[in-house]
Amino acid sequence: MLPAGCSRRLVAEVQNALDSCAERQRQLERSLRVSRRLLQAWEPTETPAPEPTPRPETNEEAQFSACTPSPQDLKELELLTQALEKAARVRKHISKAGGDKAPSLKSEAIATSPASRTSAPAQSSRRAGSHTSQTKPPRSIRQTRFPAKNLPEHRLLSAVDATCKRGGAQAVKPDPGLRDQQTVPSAAAQAPEAFMLKDKGTLLQLPVAFRKAASRNSRLWAQLSSAQTGDSADAAASARTQFLQKMQTASGWPSASEVEAEVGRLQKACSLLRLRMEEELVADPEDWAQEQRCLLTLEGLQALVGQCLHRLSELRTASVEQPEGSRPGGSPPRGGGAEPVRSPQPLLYSSTRELQTLAALRLRVAMLDQQIHLEKVLMAELLPLVSQPAALGPSWPALCRAVHSLLCEGGERFLTVLRGDEPDD
Amino acid sequence: MGRRRRCRVGPEDATRALPEAIAALSRTLPVGPSPEIFRRAKFDCPEAAPALWRLLFRVLSPGPADGASASLSLEAQARWVKSALHSQGYPSRALAQLPDNGSQGSRQLLLALAWLLARGPLLEQLLAQGRVRLGDEMPVCECEALANPGPPAPGVEEVSGVDVRHLQWLMGKLRFRWRNLMASQQEQCALLGQIHLYTRGCHSNRSLGHLSVTETELLRDPEGGRQLLQRLESENARLEAALEWRRRQLVFWRWMDTVLGACPPEATFLPRIHEPGARALEPVARELHALREQLRGAVEARRAAGAAGAGDRRPEWSAARRALRQAVGQDLAALQRAWERGGGLTQPHGPHRLVRMEAGAPRGPGLRAPEVIEALRTQEAHLEAVLRRLQGQCRRELARLARALPGLIWIPPPGR
Repeated sequence: MLPAGCSRRLVAEVQNALDSCAERQRQLERSLRVSRRLLQAWEPTETPAPEPTPRPETNEEAQFSACTPSPQDLKELELLTQALEKAARVRKHISKAGGDKAPSLKSEAIATSPASRTSAPAQSSRRAGSHTSQTKPPRSIRQTRFPAKNLPEHRLLSAVDATCKRGGAQAVKPDPGLRDQQTVPSAAAQAPEAFMLKDKGTLLQLPVAFRKAASRNSRLWAQLSSAQTGDSADAAASARTQFLQKMQTASGWPSASEVEAEVGRLQKACSLLRLRMEEELVADPEDWAQEQRCLLTLEGLQALVGQCLHRLSELRTASVEQPEGSRPGGSPPRGGGAEPVRSPQPLLYSSTRELQTLAALRLRVAMLDQQIHLEKVLMAELLPLVSQPAALGPSWPALCRAVHSLLCEGGERFLTVLRGDEPDD
Repeated sequence: MGRRRRCRVGPEDATRALPEAIAALSRTLPVGPSPEIFRRAKFDCPEAAPALWRLLFRVLSPGPADGASASLSLEAQARWVKSALHSQGYPSRALAQLPDNGSQGSRQLLLALAWLLARGPLLEQLLAQGRVRLGDEMPVCECEALANPGPPAPGVEEVSGVDVRHLQWLMGKLRFRWRNLMASQQEQCALLGQIHLYTRGCHSNRSLGHLSVTETELLRDPEGGRQLLQRLESENARLEAALEWRRRQLVFWRWMDTVLGACPPEATFLPRIHEPGARALEPVARELHALREQLRGAVEARRAAGAAGAGDRRPEWSAARRALRQAVGQDLAALQRAWERGGGLTQPHGPHRLVRMEAGAPRGPGLRAPEVIEALRTQEAHLEAVLRRLQGQCRRELARLARALPGLIWIPPPGR
């Protein structure tokens, strides 16, 4: 058993590490859910129709009768599909021009498929408005699967059922009598296909309002993070510093967050100094000049370490004088990223493998960081305990074994301890 | 004529400019109180206090505002604000003396807000915290993760004494969680790669080329898209307000000087002697001491070795020695700069938007994945070396202890 204080601190540290890991996992899971959903077939969302439409029913006939098209709809439909075909042709030549004729992805997706000539239910419904309701994502057109001609009637019916099931009076309301229109059967047949990003992803287009807002956003961020020059900026800066000086009463005392920052710097200094020292120790000087250089460097490093220790003792005395404020629940943000805040820069990658390597390395670095921190904490708490075998008595070997595994093997392997006593006979 | 009059900042202009400046400030802040509150605060009216406590709480809390912190009582928020300001080094003690119930002290709170605004790019940081992220972002460094450590663990005060096996179990759990995390991350990258691939050529911004998950999601789910658009537009409004504030802020600072003048002079206040906040200094102190010892040993060894044949060479080599000393001095000065300054910007920093691009085409701005991978590999190697060194240290220490106790045989674990 470990003593209470030690236990508390250790458990708190490890629990902290566990929590931060859990938090990352939660965020990842959220993103995963979204991404997975995007790669599956997109469900059409139920949008309220201008007139009440029957909810999905199992009665086929009822559905069919409810979906009887009006001649007017069909005529509009035909006009629209012709317009869309033309748009598709135009669009094929101009890659991604404007697209105001079909301002959203639906029509694009459907229109470009040659076999489609379709209802483009969403689009036409938006325009026509009367009987039609909106459907969400376009029906994906799998041209390979459904040839445009000679569709058997039963398939037509089932297609109609499916579209009607999707919530509303569709523009696709094929009257079997109107078979002469190529458009209708193919549309209907293809209607039950949901939108798949894999097939039609390249046809998506962001809505105009969003594009405008996004470009305005990046422009504003650029303006905000650009360096401020000019008289007014200087005047404001000097007014601010004057105000700060007036507020600063006596203290040259470092605040807790400044102490923290200083400690961080000293830590960094320590590791850089150590790195340098190890380089020098490993190097094998060949001639006198190199020897001298090595010696001078080591002496210089010694002096720097002395400076750091001096700074440390200054900090110590300063924090004695200052009352220790109770730490709030989360530590408040540090004085800050002095770095200008701006929209994130692009990070270009060329293959999924590359991206995975990148992400894996990043996580590995984070994990190593955490491991090193925990290692130091464990060392600080456990080594003193183990150094007094007498105090622990008979349980010492077991504790020592556990500590060895935790500290030296990352908790993954254990050594074996044997008693070398003489066996009794 | 009218222009000339406007250039001279007379009192009429000031009265117009100030409310506008404060209004801009208020629009930029997350829960900005009305300009009227600011005016009342100058005269220390008690009704202005709660709004300002809440504002300070919101401004000082790290991370996004969530339901949990927002539901804290005014008293709890006031206490939190006090300790947060204290740890940031807020110089005035009058604020610490305000009652916790949040009913007083609006002038002090106004001064505190102004102090925070004057010290650093507070507004920009607040805006960045709650920024609408349109791209798939991946941070290339761990700074953000360290700065926002997430919700604090509940107090483990009740733990009396644990068995070391509990600790082993916790560590094992941690290892498992990391493995899980790595696997999920790989999956997420694969999915991202696919989504980027499938939507290539769709983005209106050519340099980006394809849609991000957020953008694709807004196409799939228009309701969510509408909400995203709303957030984007409100962020745009705040950004514009921030820019306007920048232009107008001078008059605000002049006004704050008058507020400061309206305060009664502070009585001196003896600091309470508490337990030194020196806990954080311990690990670094230990390391530095250890380093000093090692260096001392190394230097002495070298000196002893070098002293043997040094005598006769002195005259010719003194110039060379001077040159060496200079070179070494510069070397070490550069080393010192590496930690003195805000940490070298040699490493890539901050979140980046992932953009998939064909390997061949070299595009302009932005980092390339292979470079980041290289940087991360060096970092990984360095950290692994540090960890191995620490483990080796422990091994030696434990071996020393084991030797001290005869009668036990220690068999190290098989294989490495």
